[in-house]
Amino acid sequence: MRTQENKIFKNIDWALFGVYLVLVLLGISNIYSSVYDPDKPNLFDLDTEQGKQIMWLGVALFLGLIVFFLESNFIRKYAYWFYGFTVLLLVGVLFMAPINGARSWFGFGGISIQPSEFAKIGVALALARFIDQNSSSKERKKLGKNSGISGLWGIVPFIAKNKSTALILAIPSALVLLQPDAGTFIIFTSFLLVLYREGYAGNILLFLVISVIIAVLTLLVADSNFMLPFTKMQLSGKTGIIIALVLITGVFAFVIKSFVMKRNRKSLYRSVFGSFIVAVLFVNFVEIGYTNILQSHQKERIDLLLGKIDDPDGKGYNINRAKAAIGSGGFIGKGYQSATLANASQRHVPMQSTDFIFCTWSEERGFLGSLFLIGLYTFLLFKMVVIAERQRSVFTRVYAYCVASIFFYHFMINVGMAIGLAPVIGIPLPFFSYGGSSMMSFSVLIFILLKLDSERKIVLQ
Amino acid sequence: MRNTDSRKYVIALIFAIIPLIFIVRLFYMQVVDDQWKERAATISENKILTYPARGIVYDRNGEKIISNEVYYDIHIIPRQAKNTDSVALVELLGITMENYSAKMAKAIDYSSKKPSEIVRQIPPNEFAQIAPELYKYPGFFEVARTLRVYPKKIAAHVLGYMNEASPADIEKDPYYKPGDYIGRTGIERMYEEQLRGQRGVKYYLQDAIGMQTGEYENGDYDTTARQGKNITLSIDWELQEYGEKLMQNKLGSIVAIEPSTGEILAMVSAPTYDPNLLVGRHLGVNYGCLQEDTLLPLQNRSINSAYMPGSIFKTVMALIGMQEGVITENSSFPCNKSLLGCHNHPTAQGVSDGVKMSCNPYFVQLARRIIQQGKDPSVFKDAAIGLDIWAEYVRSFGIGVDLKTDFPTNVHGNVPDTDYYNERLNFRWAFSTIQSIAIGQGEVLITPMEMANLAAIISNRGHYYYPHFIKDIEGSEVPEMYLTPNYTMVDSQYFEPVVDGMSRVVNESGGTARRARIDSIAVCGKTGTVENFKKINGKVYQLTDHSNFMAFAPRENPQIAISVFIENTGFGGTWSAPVAALMIEKYINRTIADTAKENRIFNANLIPDIDDIIRK
Repeated sequence: MRTQENKIFKNIDWALFGVYLVLVLLGISNIYSSVYDPDKPNLFDLDTEQGKQIMWLGVALFLGLIVFFLESNFIRKYAYWFYGFTVLLLVGVLFMAPINGARSWFGFGGISIQPSEFAKIGVALALARFIDQNSSSKERKKLGKNSGISGLWGIVPFIAKNKSTALILAIPSALVLLQPDAGTFIIFTSFLLVLYREGYAGNILLFLVISVIIAVLTLLVADSNFMLPFTKMQLSGKTGIIIALVLITGVFAFVIKSFVMKRNRKSLYRSVFGSFIVAVLFVNFVEIGYTNILQSHQKERIDLLLGKIDDPDGKGYNINRAKAAIGSGGFIGKGYQSATLANASQRHVPMQSTDFIFCTWSEERGFLGSLFLIGLYTFLLFKMVVIAERQRSVFTRVYAYCVASIFFYHFMINVGMAIGLAPVIGIPLPFFSYGGSSMMSFSVLIFILLKLDSERKIVLQ
Repeated sequence: MRNTDSRKYVIALIFAIIPLIFIVRLFYMQVVDDQWKERAATISENKILTYPARGIVYDRNGEKIISNEVYYDIHIIPRQAKNTDSVALVELLGITMENYSAKMAKAIDYSSKKPSEIVRQIPPNEFAQIAPELYKYPGFFEVARTLRVYPKKIAAHVLGYMNEASPADIEKDPYYKPGDYIGRTGIERMYEEQLRGQRGVKYYLQDAIGMQTGEYENGDYDTTARQGKNITLSIDWELQEYGEKLMQNKLGSIVAIEPSTGEILAMVSAPTYDPNLLVGRHLGVNYGCLQEDTLLPLQNRSINSAYMPGSIFKTVMALIGMQEGVITENSSFPCNKSLLGCHNHPTAQGVSDGVKMSCNPYFVQLARRIIQQGKDPSVFKDAAIGLDIWAEYVRSFGIGVDLKTDFPTNVHGNVPDTDYYNERLNFRWAFSTIQSIAIGQGEVLITPMEMANLAAIISNRGHYYYPHFIKDIEGSEVPEMYLTPNYTMVDSQYFEPVVDGMSRVVNESGGTARRARIDSIAVCGKTGTVENFKKINGKVYQLTDHSNFMAFAPRENPQIAISVFIENTGFGGTWSAPVAALMIEKYINRTIADTAKENRIFNANLIPDIDDIIRK
C-alpha cells in the first residue's frame, strides 16, 4: 500500500498545489468576511456561503483524489467521452426552467449545478486529445508555413481547413450561447491562445488585436454622425471608419508598389485587399451586432466601458459601486471584515460574493492585498506555462495551455471588470467567487494537470 | 514543422502584461486618485443630526421662565418605504390624505435617500398613541425636537417667539438648516447664539437602501448635541406678573429698572398675549390673529413706541438750567398764563417748587434762558446755538440715543436740534417757535424705556447703566458695558432740588401724584400728561390725553426706577401714578398693604372705545 501511495503522489508539483491551496483558503476567508453575519458566526455553518464553499472544497478535493487514482492514459483515452458527456449536459440544460432568464442550471433540490463550468474541462481534454492525435498531420504543416502579413489572410481558410478543431470549439460555444451565457462563450475563445501556441494561424493574435481596435472604434462612433471636412455632407460613423480603411489600404498598396519586388507583389496585394474586405465586413458585423443583436443591457455595459454614457446611480450602478469599493481600500485597506461597501450587510456592491468578489478583497486589503493576489494569479499562470513547456507529451502540454488560458481569461475579465477595464461579464474569479460548480471545475482542472504532470517522466515508457 | 517554440514567450508576455496593467490601474485607483474614496464615502456614509435642547431661561430669583418640551416630527426616507398602507397611516398620524400625498411627493422629489418631514410637532401625548404602531411603516421614523414652554403666560413681548429659519437666515448663518427654529424677537432672538446650543452629528454606515448598519470609525467623528446655555434674566418674575395683571384692560406700558445696576426688573406692554400661542404647529394661525387685532398686541409699547414725554421732561429742563448756570435752585418765575396755559397754584419759588407744581410758564421761561443765552446778536443764530447745547444735554440723559439694551429694537426717542428744525421748518425760527419742547410736548419724543432710565438717572443723581435684561450667562460673563456707569452732563449736586420736587409731587399736599404715596416707602415721582391725536377714517380726532408717570424709590439708595404709560386715560396722577406705586410697593415690600388700591386698578377697563371718540 505504502509504495502504491508513494507512486500516486510521486512527482506532484507541490508549488502548484501550494498556490492552489493558498488561493482556495484565501478565497474562503474572503467569502467569510464578505458575507459575515454576526448571527451565524460559525465558519462551517452550511446556511452560509462560506460554509457551502468549504463543503464544495471538500467535494472538489474528493474529485481530485479520484483523479489521482486514475491513470494518465485513462484520462487521455477517455477525453472525448468526457467531452461528449459535458456536451450532453449542455444540451440537457437547455430544457431546464430558466433562472434569471438563462437556462444555465441543473437544480437538484437546493443544489444547482452549472454544466458550462464542466464543459471547460471537457473542451480542454478534447482539444488536447485532438491536437495530440494530429500532431504530425500535413494539414498543420501547411498552415504553419503561412507567415507575415499574408498570415492574416490565412485566417479565413483556417476554419475551413481545421473543421474538426473548429467543431470541437463550435459545438459547446453554440450551446452556451443558446442558454444564453455570453460569459462562458467568451471563456471558450481563450482556446485561441492554445491554438496559437500549437502553431495554428500564426498571426491570430495580431488579427485579434486589430479586430479589437476596429471593433472599439466602430462601437465608439456607431450611432453618431460627423461632417466631412470642407463639405456639408453628413456621414455616419461607420462610413467614416470605412473611408479610413480605404485610405489605409491605399497606403499599403502604394508601399507595396514602391518597395516590394515585382514577383512578391501579387500575393501581398491579395492579402491587403482581402484584409480590406474582411475588415469592412467586420465593421458592418460589429455595427449591426451592436445596434440590432445585443440586448439593451449588454449595449449599456459596452457604452459604460467606453465612456459613452455616465450614470453612476443608474445603468452604471454596479461598476460604480465596485470601483468605489476598490478605490476606497487605499494603500493598506480597511482591514478584514471592515469593508463598508463590498460587504453582505452593506450590500452596496451587487453580487459581491460572486462576480464582484475582488471588490471585497481589494477594499479590505488595499493596494498591497491587490498586488499580492494579482501576484499569486500571475505566479499560477507562469507555473502553468512552465509545466506545459516541460512536457514530452503533446496531450499534457496542450491541456496545460488550455488550463492556463482558461484561468487567464477568468482572471483578466473578472478583475478587469471590477476595476472598469473590461465590460461587465458575469464570470467567476477562480477560487474566490462563491459557487460550487466553479470551485469543482477549477479544482478538477488543476488536479488533472497535477496528475498528468506527475507522470511526465513515464509518458515515453 | 516550423518551429513555433518562441511563441511560448509571446504567451508569457501576455500573461505578464495584463497583470501589470491591472497593478498600475489599481495603484492609481487605490493610492493616487481620491475620487473613489470620496465616492465611497457618499455611498456608504450618512449622518443624522441630533438636536440640542435650547437653553433654559431663569428670572433674577432663579425661577424657570422658559423651559422645553419634547415634540416629535415624523420623517420619511422614501427609499425605505415598503407597501405603505397609506389609509391607515394617514389616520394614525391624523392628517389628510391630500396633505400626506403632497408631502410624500415633495419628499420623493427632494431625495429618495434622505429624510423629509411628513408631520411636524406631534405632542408627547399624541405621539404615545403613534409610537407603538410606527414599526409597521418602514421608512417612517420620529425625530425628537424640543419646543419652548412658558410655565406662566406672561412677558410675551420680552421673551419673544421663535419660528422657522427663513432662506435669508440660512444664507446669513450656515448653521441653520431648513426646518430649524430661530429666535425671531425678544430675548429668544437676542441670545439666540447662546440659547441654541450646538447640534450633534452622528455618522453611520448605511447599506444600499440607506438602512443604518453600523457606526462610522467607532464614532470617533461623532459629536454629541450640546445643550444651549442657560441664561438668567434680570426680570423679577413676580413683579412682571403683577405688572401685567395691573395693566389688564389698559393700553400702555410699565418699565422698571434697578438704578444701581441698570437691570430691567419688569417690562410690561399691554395688551399682551399668551406666549404659548406662538409655539409649534399653531404659530401661523395664532400669529395671524394677533396681527389683525386693532389694539396691536404684538407691539411692544415699552420699547418700540416713542411718545411725547409731557411734564416729566420738566425735570430735565431744570437740571440743564442749573448746570448751564442760567438759573439756580432758588430761581423763581411767575406763572404767566399768557405764555402757556397752567392750572392754579402759588408761584413757584425755586426748582423744587417748579417740579412739584409742574408750572408750565416756569419752564417756558427757564427754557428761553437755556436756548437764548445771548451768545449771538441774531436771535435766530442764538436760538440755534442754544438748542444744540440743550440737545447735547438731553442726549446725555439717554434720550434719543442707543441705550444698548439687549433687546432687538431700533426705536429711540427724538431730540430735535438745529438740523432737525432746519429740515422741517421752511421759515426762520427762534425759541418762540419751539417753546413747547420746554414742557415735553412738541418734537421731543421718548420711549417708556428711556423714561424709566430717566427716573433711574435722577435717582442715581446723574448717572445710569445701560438698561439690560441679562444677569448671567452660563459659562460667560455679562458684557462689560453693562457694568460701567454713564454720566450725564449735569453734575450730581444739581439733582437734589429736582429729587426734592419729585418727592413733594408724591408726598406733599398739592402734589400732582398723591395717589403714588406709600406710607412705608419714600417715593419720588413726576407726572406727565400728553396730548395726542388719532386719524380715524381720514379725520383727525383729539383723543383723551395719555397718562404718564415716572418714579423711583426709596429716595435714598433707590432700589427701583419706573415709568408707567397708559394711553388715553387723562391726567398722569389718576391712573399711572397709582400703578407705579403698586409696582414699587410690590417690589420693595413684596406685598400690598392697601388692597383697595390694587382692586381699583384691577377692575378698571381703560381701553378707549373708538366709537365713543367718533361720537364726541
